[in-house]
Amino acid sequence: MNSQKNILRFGFSIAILIVIYSCIQPEPLEEVNLNEWLSGGSQTIFEKGAGAFSSIFPNLSPSRQAVHDVGDAGVEATFVSAPAVIRPGLGPLFNNVSCTSCHVGDGRGKPPLAGEQISSLLFRLSIPGTDEHDGPNPVPGFGGQLQHRSIFGIAPEGTVDIQYTEQSFQFADGTSYSLRTPTYTIQNAYTVLPSNVMVSPRIAPPFVGLGLIEAIADEDILAFADENDINEDGISGKPNYVWDILKKKKVIGRFGWKANNPNLLQQSAGAYSEDMGITNFIFPRESSANQIQFDGRDDEYEVSDSILTSVAFYIRTLAVPARRSADEPIVLRGKQLFLDAKCGACHKPMQKTATNVAFPEISNQTIFPYTDLLLHDMGSALADNRPDFEATGREWRTSPLWGIGLTKVVNGHNNFLHDGRARTLLEAVLWHDGEAEQSKEYVRQLSKDDRDALVKFLESL
Amino acid sequence: MKYLFSLLIIVVAMNLSGCKDDDTSGGAIDNDLNAVILNDFSANVASPKYNDLQIQVSKLYTQVQALELNKTDVNLNAARQTWRDARKAWEQSEAHLFGPVATENIDPRIDTWPVNFADLDAQLASSNSFTETYIDNLEDALKGFHPVEYLLFGTDGSKTAANLTSRELEYLNGLTINLKKLTTDLNAFWDASNADSYYNAVVKAGNGSAIYASQRAALEELVSAMAGICDEVANGKITEPFINEDQTLEESPYAKSSIPDFTNNITGVQNVYLGKYTSEGKGLEDLVRKYNLSLDGEIKNKITVAITALNNVTEPFGQAIFTQKIQVQNAIDAINDLKDILENDLMEFVGVHAE
Repeated sequence: MNSQKNILRFGFSIAILIVIYSCIQPEPLEEVNLNEWLSGGSQTIFEKGAGAFSSIFPNLSPSRQAVHDVGDAGVEATFVSAPAVIRPGLGPLFNNVSCTSCHVGDGRGKPPLAGEQISSLLFRLSIPGTDEHDGPNPVPGFGGQLQHRSIFGIAPEGTVDIQYTEQSFQFADGTSYSLRTPTYTIQNAYTVLPSNVMVSPRIAPPFVGLGLIEAIADEDILAFADENDINEDGISGKPNYVWDILKKKKVIGRFGWKANNPNLLQQSAGAYSEDMGITNFIFPRESSANQIQFDGRDDEYEVSDSILTSVAFYIRTLAVPARRSADEPIVLRGKQLFLDAKCGACHKPMQKTATNVAFPEISNQTIFPYTDLLLHDMGSALADNRPDFEATGREWRTSPLWGIGLTKVVNGHNNFLHDGRARTLLEAVLWHDGEAEQSKEYVRQLSKDDRDALVKFLESL
Repeated sequence: MKYLFSLLIIVVAMNLSGCKDDDTSGGAIDNDLNAVILNDFSANVASPKYNDLQIQVSKLYTQVQALELNKTDVNLNAARQTWRDARKAWEQSEAHLFGPVATENIDPRIDTWPVNFADLDAQLASSNSFTETYIDNLEDALKGFHPVEYLLFGTDGSKTAANLTSRELEYLNGLTINLKKLTTDLNAFWDASNADSYYNAVVKAGNGSAIYASQRAALEELVSAMAGICDEVANGKITEPFINEDQTLEESPYAKSSIPDFTNNITGVQNVYLGKYTSEGKGLEDLVRKYNLSLDGEIKNKITVAITALNNVTEPFGQAIFTQKIQVQNAIDAINDLKDILENDLMEFVGVHAE
């Protein structure tokens, strides 16, 4: 009787397993790696509207959610001139008054149209040579960034005039397209700007999945590097090595348009300091400290350690939107073209995050950021001609592509690249040069249908 | 035994065939109704609301001009009332804070808080000319509704027209022209007659919209925005001053209009849900009622409970955080309850009944 029961139990167990297996078996999705729907691994969310870049990791504990929420409020917080009852300390020099003023919806900034104020684009400055850590050499009287705003009674460092020149090109099929080349002229400088100043425009990048990017192991980044192009594929990704202020040593750079920042805490602290004039424990001195605009007030941190670390934690725990339409034939066709054009040689589709028992939410995830996090020569037309640590004036870090198809709904525009000069995804592709020249040429040879498919694929990311 | 094994096989077979069906096939979808709901959101809620906002702000500008010419308390009070009316339209519109209001950088230029008082005082003391262009070029914490509030109402409620300085009136003039320009721009982005407007991006969701690839995406946007403002009110605007016991963290202290602001935020949620502002229309309500009457009842009940809880805070908010703690906590809880049902139950419902 007992053995019959056991057989029965065994039978039921098998039956249940079969039932479960049959239920979790998904609909067949031709030639799509199923995981690819989940761009952010277990930190993927399914929001596809205006809030797509602002969603919290889906599995944070309530106490960690609370830290995320404190950081969220920090990102939204507007700073004002001292003295003030709440959030004093703005400036004296600044580019904007809050994190969210540039990173609208935690998303991507855009360059101003004619007559509009500059709000989410800033300009890094340096002169030839390097600082004591092999970083950019600050400009006397200006530092490393042009602050175009100031509190009342203080002279801003200058303004920037932006002009665009259109140039026509043709696809192989005869269809013409136009790219706009920006020129940037610093005007109304409050003091003499050295003639050898180098200017690098940088648009506010989206926050999507940055915590997961931070969690990729150094070794995995280095394993993909090929600085001397030993495999002779014409592509020679190299890591940037940048100064980590807290560790007091050089480490691999991951963030910023030239991989010029080592981690999200230092990136956030630097933005507080340079973009808003808010001192903190990582940047205790005002950005204007050596200039006439300095008000002598840097005796206390203007953003507390806890708010700063909460802001970094907020950014670190923003989820990645899932792919849309990843199984549509035109998208699959576009993906094949993307790979055939060798875009994936730098925009590496898949990465894995390191094991991290202290931060299980980002530990050991298979993610699809479409970047190798390495520097590549992008040609002379895109060059800013301003070195940044190991990055030359022609090199930029491969930008992650996840979430890129949601830029329009979150930020209302389709401006891409480091200064937003591209007005569509296809224009962004066509600006590629240098190591990416063959890939661009491949795209130029495509038919209209194939170009559309490629764009559809990018929009599905 | 044989019988039992046969039973097992039957059970397994039934399950296998059951699993073949797509799980979402249980959700009936009425594309025509969803299209009407999206149309009515643009036509009956978003567009008329932004139009009202523009009308009230234009009126405010005219009244500020009248106040400059004739500095009477009657004129001051008229401007104050119109500020409140404009705020009503604005706060209600915060229940759908997506699209151009965010992407065109309009929200931060008209509703940044706190005000940069140190710089504002310095501006007033200067001899700068407060033209619209000058105001427009200022940083966000020096323009928009809140500096207007500060100048019209004063800090302690005792301000009279006689207290208004000519420099304050000049600044008010520049501020209100700038507000008028920005709210006119915002309204134009929702112009039905422009094929590329956001009005039509919502109406044409899943049918040629440049923004929303599906009706589901647009309906989820509505739900997400409704839940978003509940979160902002409950866990930001109310909670921050409340848990810190700090009335300086209150957002509209001078007009003492914080509780009306919060109530208008929730009324805005109600407008979106019902598809109704000044005229009747189809809203999410109609979709929910069609398939789940009890969910519809629960959502409406939670909206009513949240508005009632806010109405029970009878003191001005800056005092209520000290003297009506139970009522304030009840309001936070009620709005969070509403947020939960919107972001969980309603969001899931829309996912099943839209495509």
